[in-house]
Amino acid sequence: MNNSAIRNGLGYATLALMLTALFMVFDYVPPEAEQGIAQLIFYFHVPLAWVAFASFGLVAIAGVFYLWLGDQLWDDLGYAAAETGMVFCTLMIVAGSIWAKPIWGTWWTWDSRLTTTFILWLMYGGYLMLRASADDTPQVARFAAVLGIVAVLDVPIVIASVRLWRTIHPAVLVTKQGGHGLEDPRMVATLLVCLAAFTALWAWLLMLRFTQLRTRSKMGALAMRIAFATAAASDGK
Amino acid sequence: MSGFAAVLRKDLRLELRSGESTLALLALSMLVLVVLVFALDAARVRSVDAAAGALWVAMVFAGMLGANRALLAERANGAIRGLLLSPLDPATLYAAKLAAALIFMAIAEVGAVILMVLFFNLEFDASIARLAPILALGAIGFSALATLLSAITGRTRGGDMLLPILVVPIFVPALIAGVKASAAALAGMPLSSMGDWLKIMIAFDVLFVTAGYLLFEHVVGED
Repeated sequence: MNNSAIRNGLGYATLALMLTALFMVFDYVPPEAEQGIAQLIFYFHVPLAWVAFASFGLVAIAGVFYLWLGDQLWDDLGYAAAETGMVFCTLMIVAGSIWAKPIWGTWWTWDSRLTTTFILWLMYGGYLMLRASADDTPQVARFAAVLGIVAVLDVPIVIASVRLWRTIHPAVLVTKQGGHGLEDPRMVATLLVCLAAFTALWAWLLMLRFTQLRTRSKMGALAMRIAFATAAASDGK
Repeated sequence: MSGFAAVLRKDLRLELRSGESTLALLALSMLVLVVLVFALDAARVRSVDAAAGALWVAMVFAGMLGANRALLAERANGAIRGLLLSPLDPATLYAAKLAAALIFMAIAEVGAVILMVLFFNLEFDASIARLAPILALGAIGFSALATLLSAITGRTRGGDMLLPILVVPIFVPALIAGVKASAAALAGMPLSSMGDWLKIMIAFDVLFVTAGYLLFEHVVGED
């Protein structure tokens, strides 16, 4: 089975899983008693968070392998992961914000998890800006690898500091229920299907972007060889 | 170690003869403090929280300027190539650049602290002395991070604008801890009461000095 067959299979699997997930969220699962319909956002928010964090982890892993092995493949993977991670992280923040307005009464609050996520979002925004502005620099792959590693190293310290910051200052929120209380088994089932659907969507998008970047790298290498060959030929005359 | 001393001595001599970096850093720190006094209307209210915040904003801006300048002089005439061709280890070069950046930042911070006491109507007392270790920890972390990342941004289009975008989010944990610890120190609390904040700053410093030391060779090379 070749790459494009896997990719297409993944695409169809994503479609099927997404349709199932939508049906389960809007028709099958009972909304939580207290929060009502707003709680349904949870089934999108949590999977989005999971794939966003998985992407950012992958950026760092790809960075380590790139510095270690020097293969362009790892750089392309890191780039694709950062881009998809940024998309999902943005969607996660937007979905969380829409949920927070009716439930917490505010679009945004400097709660420790929100703050940590926002800082991550800023870091990988910077990572993508670096990639955009250094696109024509040959060392961009190494720059990006170093930045991806540095960003992930920072995450535990960000979490520790933000948590400490919030416990000293009381949160704006008056009522924040710990946990979502998935007492109904249908809720658990829906969450699992949504997790699978978003993971498939992520893997599919990542693979598409990765293939695209691979093609670009190979074409770049090819163009370089042609340029060298042409120069050598004209020297020979 | 002699290579480290040589590069550091060169940077300090360059600075002693021109005075460019330290003067620019001091001027910028002062202007940031002035802007914040007006912005926060701090001339009327005497607030240690505002003073601590203003001090750290001045430090971040001055540090950014210093980091942008650090490798600029080396790039201007391709001097960096000479440094890289010398038997000097890139990690040693990083350590020397970090030490130089730290010295310039320390000078700017001394100036900023004096101005902060004057502008925010504070007293020169023991609480100011307790700021020293907090600011030192902050400066080490910031210089370590900014020296590493300026080696990256210095070689990209619009690099000097990119540097703050990369440095500030990563510096956030040390910034939170530093502002909190400084405000506590200015309020007259002993250092022992802010152990958690100091621990975060120490962890940040250890992590990023090590990361810079190990990763610098990957970003400074010419190829």
